Amino acid sequence: MTVTQAPPPLPMRDKARDRTAEAAAREGVGGLSPMLTRLAAERATGVLVREGGALYLAGGLVLHAESPYAPGIGTLLTAGGVLPAEEWWRAAGIAGDLPGTARLLLAGGRLTPAALEICHLHALYDAAYFALAPSSSPGRFHYGPAPDADGPLPAVPVAAVEREVLRRRALLHRLWPDALLDGVPLLRSTPVAAPGVTTRQAAVLSLADGVRTAPDIALAQGRRVFPTLVEVRRLAAAGLLGTPPPPGAASPPSELPDVDPHIALLKRVRDALEAL
Amino acid sequence: MPGIDECLLEAMRLPGARGAALVDWTSGLALGVVGEFPGGDAEAAAADVAELARLAAEQPAFAVAPAGDPGPGGPGSTGAADDADPSVEDVIVSNRDGYHLLRFVPAAFDSGAVLHLWLGRAEGNLALARIRLGEMAGRLVLG
Repeated sequence: MTVTQAPPPLPMRDKARDRTAEAAAREGVGGLSPMLTRLAAERATGVLVREGGALYLAGGLVLHAESPYAPGIGTLLTAGGVLPAEEWWRAAGIAGDLPGTARLLLAGGRLTPAALEICHLHALYDAAYFALAPSSSPGRFHYGPAPDADGPLPAVPVAAVEREVLRRRALLHRLWPDALLDGVPLLRSTPVAAPGVTTRQAAVLSLADGVRTAPDIALAQGRRVFPTLVEVRRLAAAGLLGTPPPPGAASPPSELPDVDPHIALLKRVRDALEAL
Repeated sequence: MPGIDECLLEAMRLPGARGAALVDWTSGLALGVVGEFPGGDAEAAAADVAELARLAAEQPAFAVAPAGDPGPGGPGSTGAADDADPSVEDVIVSNRDGYHLLRFVPAAFDSGAVLHLWLGRAEGNLALARIRLGEMAGRLVLG
């Protein structure tokens, strides 16, 4: 006689935990940086320096953000040919600070206010993404003098910046759940049935040489870093981009198992499932 | 020369305008918002606008065919510097209730900006709004 046993229950996702994480992401209180939350609450003025970059704060607002991984407003404006680099640096040299530089360029009529605002917001959010990335060392805060109130560049509430950073993390995670790709050298891989790529993606692929990281590629193009991160994740999901093998490993062309597209595909599926 | 908010307020003066936003279509971030937002959630609306704009901008079928080239988007296509601007100018969505106009903002830098105007169906004048929004988008960054 056969006894049918009830199959073991399938593992369930912890929906409560997922919901809490989602709610936290929505509220903008996801423990991005407890220090930042505290500084915003006390409306401190100064610079918060973290491993991935710095946030300039005043009265609960983020005035500006910088990161070595994100091209700044000057790079964005000059690389696209909107402004000759000498002109940017001359203005920066005379003014000494970012709002002053912006004011000089506006007064010179070389830029529309909207162009400056758009570039500034892009640079701010891109740098904030890296500045608020998980870090191993604690941040430091340097109190500073209050900036002039009527600067030409828009400031953003701290909570809005936190929410946007979390939204961007979630967006990238949905595309391809491997946050390491934000900072490691990238190498294009050669799948057998390569899907078509957009011009932007082709430009990213052509610069992925096994040495450059995603921020390096953005800098080389004079482009914003976040769209580059998006393209890198999409290309990784398509199997067109990966990380080079560690130096000790066999050189990639002689590595037999990866040549079989089915195995490469299965590996990608496995990696994606494991990363969920 | 206008800033983002002045441009959006100008768009709101068009007949039937219910809401206007400047959205970064590469990230889904709302760079500026004025008036109502479809669904009542500015962030969600901006993300939806970005999704639609990205689709329109990236599909080879909607790109301007370059002379003597089979089309962009193939694996062999080279990264030209002129792709910061998509060749699509605008996207129009209509429903029983209103019109949505998405207008890509031409810029020499990597702006990724798209103007979104929401018009009420009864009062909105789609043809007029399309022309005006095009002018505003052109002035916004290029001056």
